[in-house]
Amino acid sequence: MIPSRPASIEASALVREFKKGPRAVDGIDLHVAPGEIYGFLGPNGAGKSTTTLMLTTLLPPTAGSARVAGYDVVREGPAVRAAIGAALQEAALDPLLTGREHMRLQTALHGLPRAERAARGEELLERIGLREAADRKVGGYSGGMKRRLDLALALVHRPRILFLDEPTTGLDIQSRAALWQEVSRLAADDGVTVFLTTQYLEEADVLADRVGIIDHGRIVAEGTPAQLKSQIGRPSVEVVPLDAGQRGPLAAVLARFGEPTGASPNGVAVRLRGGERDLAEVVRALDAEHIAVEHIQLHAPSLDDVFLAKTGRSLEGAGDQPQPEEAANREPIAAHSGATA
Amino acid sequence: MSRASSRSVALAVAWRAIHNFLTNPAFLVPSIVFPLFFFTAFAGGLSTIGNVPNFDFRSGYTAFQFVFVLLQSAAFGGVFTGFAVAADFEGGVARRIMLAAPRRGGIVVGYALAALTRALITWALLTIVALIAGMRIDGDGVDLFGLYGLALIVNVAATLWATGVAMRIRSIQGGPLMQIPVFLILFLAPVYVPLKLLTGWIHAVASVNPATALIQAARGFISGSPAHVALAFAVAVGLVALFALWARGGLRRAEASS
Repeated sequence: MIPSRPASIEASALVREFKKGPRAVDGIDLHVAPGEIYGFLGPNGAGKSTTTLMLTTLLPPTAGSARVAGYDVVREGPAVRAAIGAALQEAALDPLLTGREHMRLQTALHGLPRAERAARGEELLERIGLREAADRKVGGYSGGMKRRLDLALALVHRPRILFLDEPTTGLDIQSRAALWQEVSRLAADDGVTVFLTTQYLEEADVLADRVGIIDHGRIVAEGTPAQLKSQIGRPSVEVVPLDAGQRGPLAAVLARFGEPTGASPNGVAVRLRGGERDLAEVVRALDAEHIAVEHIQLHAPSLDDVFLAKTGRSLEGAGDQPQPEEAANREPIAAHSGATA
Repeated sequence: MSRASSRSVALAVAWRAIHNFLTNPAFLVPSIVFPLFFFTAFAGGLSTIGNVPNFDFRSGYTAFQFVFVLLQSAAFGGVFTGFAVAADFEGGVARRIMLAAPRRGGIVVGYALAALTRALITWALLTIVALIAGMRIDGDGVDLFGLYGLALIVNVAATLWATGVAMRIRSIQGGPLMQIPVFLILFLAPVYVPLKLLTGWIHAVASVNPATALIQAARGFISGSPAHVALAFAVAVGLVALFALWARGGLRRAEASS
């Protein structure tokens, strides 16, 4: 569904073709509303970063058009650049400058009045928790510190639109959580529009108001995470009986609640006809049939299921996640050994 | 909203480049040591060349060589700046600057300002060393203004040349391409003796080499008998105009593929 509000980011049939290469971006349409966090999800090489480079005026499109903050990215590049902030995939920091000197450079680049520069730099260093490390050369910063500094640098001029290209790649869990919190705060409190590319399902699911899934340069699905997941269908429940001999009766009980679906070798799974609310009924039915359960798990549809359904394969790189999206989408509701459900 | 202007971008780019070479001796020392080395080697080791027949440069061989080394340091100062630009593209800092700059011409101006600062430091030290070594200056204040002014324009031209290469190649591997043409042009000019003492092919090449006009005019300034001044400044300004177009083309290329 395309929002009716005027767009912060709008693209129409946007294409980028490289010499002797495939179309990195193959005719995508985008409509991102002000204050929205738009998650651009896709595997490595899908065209996420190329799209971001075009929208940030760092790479001209081969065909199509795009407007950011109301300005054409080709004809009105200076106005676009004045309105946006960007933290791109490689934190482009000078290893010879300290964090504070980076702030000085960035505030000067953006033409902040001399009197405001130091205060704005200190405010942002404080906000990202780098004040104590501000006088250390960036060459000695950890990956997380560099990412945080990069984000802060993108914010010095209070941009209306923020582009974040895979901002949490390679970060530990704490750094990732801190960055998510800050991005959410920016959108909620400051009304900043965020265009976030990621290959992490969980990131898109947790952060984004809407998600566009890109593969081979084309958007294959778009909507809120809930809308996308509901397109795929209903959650499934998987039950592992304590006694392997009870798999037959277990399958018969579960068949009352939905059609069979893939399960682990020892388990039985069905896609719940009535959705999540059937789970309590399943537990009651198993109890009534005296089927002892070792493990029962509800599997809500994930964005990976969406990707799988739209492209026929699982999202590459999902396995790279330090904390897989299973934590968010698979909800173990019981893990009893020897207990009757 | 950003309030960036070409001026703010130029000043920020210049500040960073100057900060880096002032705080990291490895970036500044070569641009000082090489001219001093050349001056010492040429003016000291080859000083007897000043005694050959028809070598009629009245300020002496030290001043004769000082002028060449001054212009050489001006040119190579620009080339060193090209290295820094290429390194910025390789390291990604250039992308940050490109994103912040509304009018990206300010980026090139910033690098040129840094190159000038570096050159001024080098020239100050080179002049002090030359004076200590007994260099004679027969020109007056106006002549010296012309001498350093010419060197300054050469520095700008070389910076624009090297920046144009750096922005096209966007890798430090483009270093030889920035350096070799400058080296060839400078050393195919009357370096050790006046043009009239050169013979054969080197005389033919030096006669049409634009660097010859610059060196001869600069030597005229230090000896107090300026010659070919208009030609020299026309050549210098022409080179700036030509390489400004070259650098602008490089910037466009970088914009189209960053």
